[in-house]
Amino acid sequence: MIQKKICMVGSFAVGKTSLVSRFVHSIFSDKYLTTVGVKIDKKVVTVSSRELMLMLWDLAGKDDYQELRPSYVRGAAGYLLVADGTRAFTLDVALQLQKDVESFIGKTPFVLVLNKTDLIDEWQIKEPQIEALRARGWEVIMTSAKQGQSVEEAFITLGSKIVDG
Amino acid sequence: MSEATLHDLFELLDLFVIEQKHDGNYRLVGSVPDWFEHLFPGAAVSRKPLAPENLSPFLENFLIDAQALWKQNRNCRTSSGYWMQTDASGREFPLEAFAIRLGNKRFLTIDQPIAAYNEQRNILQKGREIVLNKEFLEEEVRKRTEQIRNREEEVAVRLVAAAEFRDDETGAHIRRIGLYAEVLARQLGCPAEYVDNIRIAATMHDIGKIGIPDSILLKPAVLTDKEFEIIKQHSEIGAKMLENSRAPMINMAHDIALYHHEKWDGSGYPTGLFQEDIPLSARIVAIADVYDALVHKRVYKPPIAELAAIDIIKQSGGKHFDPAIIAAFLDLHDDFKKIAAYDDSSMFPEAAEDC
Repeated sequence: MIQKKICMVGSFAVGKTSLVSRFVHSIFSDKYLTTVGVKIDKKVVTVSSRELMLMLWDLAGKDDYQELRPSYVRGAAGYLLVADGTRAFTLDVALQLQKDVESFIGKTPFVLVLNKTDLIDEWQIKEPQIEALRARGWEVIMTSAKQGQSVEEAFITLGSKIVDG
Repeated sequence: MSEATLHDLFELLDLFVIEQKHDGNYRLVGSVPDWFEHLFPGAAVSRKPLAPENLSPFLENFLIDAQALWKQNRNCRTSSGYWMQTDASGREFPLEAFAIRLGNKRFLTIDQPIAAYNEQRNILQKGREIVLNKEFLEEEVRKRTEQIRNREEEVAVRLVAAAEFRDDETGAHIRRIGLYAEVLARQLGCPAEYVDNIRIAATMHDIGKIGIPDSILLKPAVLTDKEFEIIKQHSEIGAKMLENSRAPMINMAHDIALYHHEKWDGSGYPTGLFQEDIPLSARIVAIADVYDALVHKRVYKPPIAELAAIDIIKQSGGKHFDPAIIAAFLDLHDDFKKIAAYDDSSMFPEAAEDC
């Protein structure tokens, strides 16, 4: 079976761990527990009629105290770039991280995930910003790890981008 | 230090240590800690070759950095950072690996630094919770401030509309003046607070009309010189109503009420101020007020066409109006046109539904 390394990249408290947890174990916890270091989960998916083992590298979120280590994204076939819809600056962080990852490992398939659609009334990221990113050719998927909305879609979409090129 | 002493040291430190030999194979140094056997059962049995790359994808990745470090001809080390390893029952344990070059020896150590990991996690957790709480409070303050502003604005607009009820100035006109002033101030690069203030302050520019008799205010014909002198007093009456406030927005409204009929060339009233002696807020409202009056019906005149209104204002540059503000106005022509289309039904939709 083909194995593909997928990294979860984004600012802290955007829901990277929750997205993995929902996707792999179908569970969600409201309690915020910060990730230190790296946790690796795996899940087998079928993409374009092919079985893929996705090795999900859940990386600690970026902030003033933790930078993204280049070695952690080394060898990644793709990545989910995650932002929190209720915190506008996490999108700025995601945009910077996308540039960082590209500088570390070159052009690599990714999907921008805007998480926490269950709190859509509190969103600070607005439709014009999202449309501007789509206009760049970015795949943008709005998810809720809490409610499970579009979480599988995000991972499968990334899988398709990796397999189909 | 003898090999035996090294073994004892590693055992005391509860470390898993392997050494890479020159042929690239690994050999165990010392014994296998219990925690290692628990997490990687059978991985370090004596007859099996050691393959650290098979222990975990994280370690496989770290070995690339380890190989690069071992090639260096000096004593050095590098850390993998923490990673979580899961046992057979799904429990997670923090691990950390080090690649060490010591003389001509190449070591890989793996540790289970539970205490250090928990300490770092607790510090990071607390720090991030403080940041999240701060973000939440800042957002709450922003929302409350916006609510208060919106309330102030609606109170101002409705009161001013009530004060100007007699001369048929609608709430929509008052709100439009505020909106024109807001977009002009923003275009001129004014700070955000100034822009927010002028949106409300501008609506009070003619509040002094409350002190003008009906016979003059509502006269549907050209005013006599004496009547014009009386109506000019509305700017000083409005300023008196708004003076001596500690609120910056009301102070701005005072300036606007007093000076919005001053002219760039000094030929205005009440005091004949010249050019930039006229407060910026008053210079902004002057254009907004004239534009709105030109494109809408008044008791004394019908509306004129949009392009004609723009022409009149353009030609007044340097005489009536500040040329820089005229330039900003011309850049914002489309915005002004949209604002000019607002009427009472779009300003106060609840009121329109009641009619």
